[in-house]
Amino acid sequence: MAIITPIKTPDRAAPLAERSIIGWMHKNLFSSWFNAILTVVTAYLVYITVTGLWAWGVTDATFIADSRRECFENSLSGACWAGVIDWFDNIFYGRYPREQIWRINLGAVLLVLWMAPLWMSRVKGKVLIGAGVVVFYPFLAGYLFAGGEKGLLTQLMVSGAIVALIANTSNMLIGITTRASLKEFLLQVLGKAQASGRTQRNVLLAIVLFVFVAVFLWQMQWTAEAVSWTQWGGLFLTMVIAGIGIASSLPGGILLALGRRSKLTVVRVLCTGFIEVFRSVPLITVLFMATTMFPLFMPEGFVLNKLVQVIIAVVLFNACYMAETVRAGLQAIPRGQYEAAHTIGLGYWRTTGLVIMPQALKYMIPNIVGTFISLLKDTTLVSIIGLFDILGMLRSISKDIPWLGLHKEPLIFGAMLFFVLCFSMSKYSRHLETKLSAGDQH
Amino acid sequence: MNNAAPKTGLKRAKPKETFDFFHDARVRSVFYQLITAGLFGLLMWYLVTNTSQNLQARGMSTGFGFLNTTAGFDIDFKLIDYTPGKGTYGRIFVIGALNTLLVSFMAIILSTALGFLVGVLRLSNNWLVSKVALSFVEIFRNTPLLIQIVFWYIGVFAVLPAVKMTIDLSLGAKMLLLNNRGLYMATPIMGGLFWMTLVALGVALAGVYLLRRRARKLQESSGKQTKTLIPSLGLLVLLPSAVFILTGRPLSWDMPTLQGFNFAGGTSLPPAFLALIVSLSIYHAAQIAEAVRAGILSVSKGQKEAALSIGLKPARVMAMVVIPQAMPAIVPPMISQWMTTVKNSSLAIAIGYADIVSLFMQTTLNQIGHAVELVGMTMAFYMVISLSISGLLNIYNKRVQLVER
Repeated sequence: MAIITPIKTPDRAAPLAERSIIGWMHKNLFSSWFNAILTVVTAYLVYITVTGLWAWGVTDATFIADSRRECFENSLSGACWAGVIDWFDNIFYGRYPREQIWRINLGAVLLVLWMAPLWMSRVKGKVLIGAGVVVFYPFLAGYLFAGGEKGLLTQLMVSGAIVALIANTSNMLIGITTRASLKEFLLQVLGKAQASGRTQRNVLLAIVLFVFVAVFLWQMQWTAEAVSWTQWGGLFLTMVIAGIGIASSLPGGILLALGRRSKLTVVRVLCTGFIEVFRSVPLITVLFMATTMFPLFMPEGFVLNKLVQVIIAVVLFNACYMAETVRAGLQAIPRGQYEAAHTIGLGYWRTTGLVIMPQALKYMIPNIVGTFISLLKDTTLVSIIGLFDILGMLRSISKDIPWLGLHKEPLIFGAMLFFVLCFSMSKYSRHLETKLSAGDQH
Repeated sequence: MNNAAPKTGLKRAKPKETFDFFHDARVRSVFYQLITAGLFGLLMWYLVTNTSQNLQARGMSTGFGFLNTTAGFDIDFKLIDYTPGKGTYGRIFVIGALNTLLVSFMAIILSTALGFLVGVLRLSNNWLVSKVALSFVEIFRNTPLLIQIVFWYIGVFAVLPAVKMTIDLSLGAKMLLLNNRGLYMATPIMGGLFWMTLVALGVALAGVYLLRRRARKLQESSGKQTKTLIPSLGLLVLLPSAVFILTGRPLSWDMPTLQGFNFAGGTSLPPAFLALIVSLSIYHAAQIAEAVRAGILSVSKGQKEAALSIGLKPARVMAMVVIPQAMPAIVPPMISQWMTTVKNSSLAIAIGYADIVSLFMQTTLNQIGHAVELVGMTMAFYMVISLSISGLLNIYNKRVQLVER
């Protein structure tokens, strides 16, 4: 006979560590004597550092002053941010003519507008959007930033860019409101939704052609004042170099990596040699090589400007690093994937493009972003060979007469700027990684 | 390699294979390779002819004869003798190479030690400590190394007190002095009988080795644990110092002394060297810390739990079970960080430390031209270093694999 008591025993209380701040502290900060001492010492060190930095950088600092002398009069122990604030325009735009700065801002806004749909889940045709940015944006931005005479190619490409941007923006708006793509929407409006594929294509082509001609005629009247590259500088120049580097090192790296894994001996040896040579020397030697040896390589009378030399060097150097990242990603793809692609009759390029790359890119994301981050950080090296990128600008503050000798604050400001950029990039890549691998967890 | 239709499979599909010249995989492969080689050859030919034409047009000489001509500029930090006006450009190459090697070697040692410490702290169960380690890693990883180097140089080492206000790091012994001209150290001068102290040290080391071997044998045979730490330390300290005192203290110091406006004597390290060492060590320590953390996390949790369950203390679990198993995962990324350290030491050029790039690729190149040879030699130097370090990595990897299987 079992004795059954109908009274429920009370729930046992949750362990101390899960219940309260005290419990959490006990578990994470004071679990043993050694840990408690460690915590106290560390907390003290953190306290000194943080309060010291806060006093120097905020409470004792001078934000408004006309010269370094005034900063010193205000406080001797604080930072002099006034110099940095005074130079803001130079730090961000270099010596770009002040009345033309809107061109840089417009370029940045257009890029954001162009890229924005890539983050929107309701917009269709993301591959086309991405390809449009890579193919057309550089010409539009290049013309915006440099200005001057327009050749026929520039005119055509700029018109193409504007058409692509119009299509892209309307596609985004339609996508947000109706969830349809631009193509479906146009066909519906024109009443051709049921027409044959051929008619549909002709209608769309006609529209594109019409818009293109209109844009071409419109842009012929533009004249933008020429701004020499020597006036480019600051964060703007850093972004130009890093942007071109990022946009071209990925495709370059993919080609080099495929070449390194190729079964054609000559191709493989050349690619491997190229990658290994560039990876085993420092970037600064490559930059020196670019500025001293490119002029020797070129036929007589052909002069490349320094910016182009530097960009070529940065692209070549980073393509080799990217190639190794891509190679690691390709190695993660099981052999069966290649075999399956061959079974259904795909050739080399379609196997790579349709089956292997899309999977491999997903594995590569953290490392690709890592390469991008180091590329962005490495662009500061161009200041060594005399370009006024952001570091060049930050260092020239200390040579400006009112701010003579102001070294520390500009460098700290630059470091904080880079920290924000790089840290958010790495956090975003972490987020992307979990988002993309969500489907993998069985 | 992957789209090669297996030959046997091909034959089975087409029993009567007719040789079609244009669609045969082998012919196509040879054809593509010929095209690639041809294009590459054409490019090389184009570059070489352009270069030689340009060199002729500018009346520039070629060849390595310049290595034997004398250079006129002075170098403020050098490991071997050099006098401006007498030393050759060949000697300058050697000085630059040695300076690069010295700074990279010291930075590698320091960054590895610091990186290990931070990596382990990052996994500490003390919340505060692990967050501090995390902030260290994130701050130094996400800011450009060049900004850090310049900051240490002009923000820290150049604003140290002047010579008259020198900071004495050796607490009054005047053996380690720091000021805005650099770090001054007393240099030991060995007397005639100092070799006996060295011999005593060797004997002590051998004694420690024997002691530990006996202790291990005893433990293996009987399970008895003997304490070796205190006897070993005693042996190491007492024997050499006894010999040192008995032979009449045959060691004197070359002290840095203030003469006029600067210190003379001893060894001195310029501020640029110190800034470079500190910034390279910290930057790469942050990277190595991440490698160490990833390696430790890759060791399966059960190993740690098993070690704890047989009664080992947490510190011993880390030292005897977890870290040894994490090493194969830690070492390859760490060695590639070493390679990057050597390459990044070239940023010395921004703060005027006389490394190979700034001496050879900048100063020498500005003075005598010879761009092709100078760039080639500098790049070859870095390639030799990189290849040697990666050779080291391959040897290590092979050994680890042998142990595993």
